[in-house]
Amino acid sequence: MSLERWQQILREITGVPGVRGALIVSAEDGLVVAESAMEHVATSDVAALAAALVVRARQTAHVAHGAPPRSVHLAASGGVLLAMAGPDPLWLVALADSRAELGRLRVLLGDFAVSLA
Amino acid sequence: MRVLEPWVTDPLVEFVRESSARVALVMTSSGQVIAQHGFTRSLDVMAAAALGAGILATTSELARLMEHGGDFGAVVHQGDREGVWLGGFDTPRGRWIALAVFGRESSIGLVRLFFDRFAAQVSAAAPPPVAVREVLAEGFERELDQSLRALFGGT
Amino acid sequence: MTDPPTVSPTRPQGLAFLELGERLRQRGQLEAAAMVATAGLAHYPALADAHDLLGRIRADQGEDAGAIAAWHAALECDQGHVGALKGLAFVAFRARDFSAAERYLELAVGESPHDPSLLAALDRVRATQPAATPDAAPALADLSSGLLLFDAQGMRLTGGVGPGTSADTADAASAEGAGLAREASRVTRLLGLGEWQYLLVEGTEFRFAVLPIADGATLLVSRPGTTPSGRLLAMASRAGIAARHWLERLT
Repeated sequence: MSLERWQQILREITGVPGVRGALIVSAEDGLVVAESAMEHVATSDVAALAAALVVRARQTAHVAHGAPPRSVHLAASGGVLLAMAGPDPLWLVALADSRAELGRLRVLLGDFAVSLA
Repeated sequence: MRVLEPWVTDPLVEFVRESSARVALVMTSSGQVIAQHGFTRSLDVMAAAALGAGILATTSELARLMEHGGDFGAVVHQGDREGVWLGGFDTPRGRWIALAVFGRESSIGLVRLFFDRFAAQVSAAAPPPVAVREVLAEGFERELDQSLRALFGGT
Repeated sequence: MTDPPTVSPTRPQGLAFLELGERLRQRGQLEAAAMVATAGLAHYPALADAHDLLGRIRADQGEDAGAIAAWHAALECDQGHVGALKGLAFVAFRARDFSAAERYLELAVGESPHDPSLLAALDRVRATQPAATPDAAPALADLSSGLLLFDAQGMRLTGGVGPGTSADTADAASAEGAGLAREASRVTRLLGLGEWQYLLVEGTEFRFAVLPIADGATLLVSRPGTTPSGRLLAMASRAGIAARHWLERLT
């Protein structure tokens, strides 16, 4: 898939009300692969932290269930971080505030994540 | 952890903890060691500091030749099991360099993130520069010994 | 009237003892059925179906503890043994532990998603559960509960990650889970997201929720992949209350 298509996907995700930004990260090294503009947060920071969370979630899932996760969803009082597995080692990540339609966002991210290949 | 400048301690402790760096070295751009974590032999520290400063100087020159408009900021070597981060940053005491060795429990992204925070914290914590004393040739070895004792607790 | 089956408890011929034991059980000849199953197990101790047969016989005999032990043994041989999961669900339902019954049935449905009897049983349990157990405390102390409580250092306080899993697995999951909770806390702090409320991790066959409880303790609630996410979060919230009470009693 082309970088242009990735950018299109990221634009569609950031078009969902409440989404502050979206990016494609490499979980292996915590770096940004493709990104959309993000308000008040450095995308490189989001990539590093999201990748670290994904790696920890993967370790826990492996120990508890012997299989890797497809998605990681962190909810906090001031917003949510959603990460969906694409082709290894890529993860599609979105940062949203609390008013975002989470159900819709999860479905959208899931659909797009599998199409990253 | 051994530190020559006490105000570097807190930022370095946080950097090592948050980035999970296995080894960390802070030095001036000329290779003078300011602080170290994870080294066990003074010889390794001095060699790593000299090599690290040399690598960054080389890449800065490369950036100049390529008309990059500044230096590259950081150099990363990623191996199978460990990686090395080498980054320069400005402080009131001049340009300093941090070297970090990290394993699979960390990532380039995390080291970069906490390196940026470390650099900002060091710059904020640094006291005003002091007048540089002229280092006489006969005093140089004595000062070097003192530095090594401070960094390695008398070894 | 049919002739009684020939009982040869000391020499099961291949796996025919399974059929023989089941026929005896269905005829109500429970002692003879138990002898057949026990003898068969002596030859095939790692055969999940044999443990399952013994579990059904013990359940018919009213020996729930024996039945549960047999079905757990079956799950140790075959983690996804549907018969054992159904059996455990049945015993839990009979003991009015509807949440446990639901959990076992969910696992069974995960293994056999098109079995209409399982789906009907799951519907029945779910229909029963809200009215019957509005305040029931989840079985935190049970390794098979899918409820795992651990402290900030990654030491297990109580519980486990699900049926057929060991204490070692629960301990390892506690150690990793504490690291995951620390990471969740760090992410929300550094991204300015406020206090973290829960973490939902989903795989093809599983999903689990992780939520902070109190004093650094964290709860991990694990369910099969067939459990809807919203339902898992609702269960996790309820289990979180029970976990807080458990911690208060501990201190």
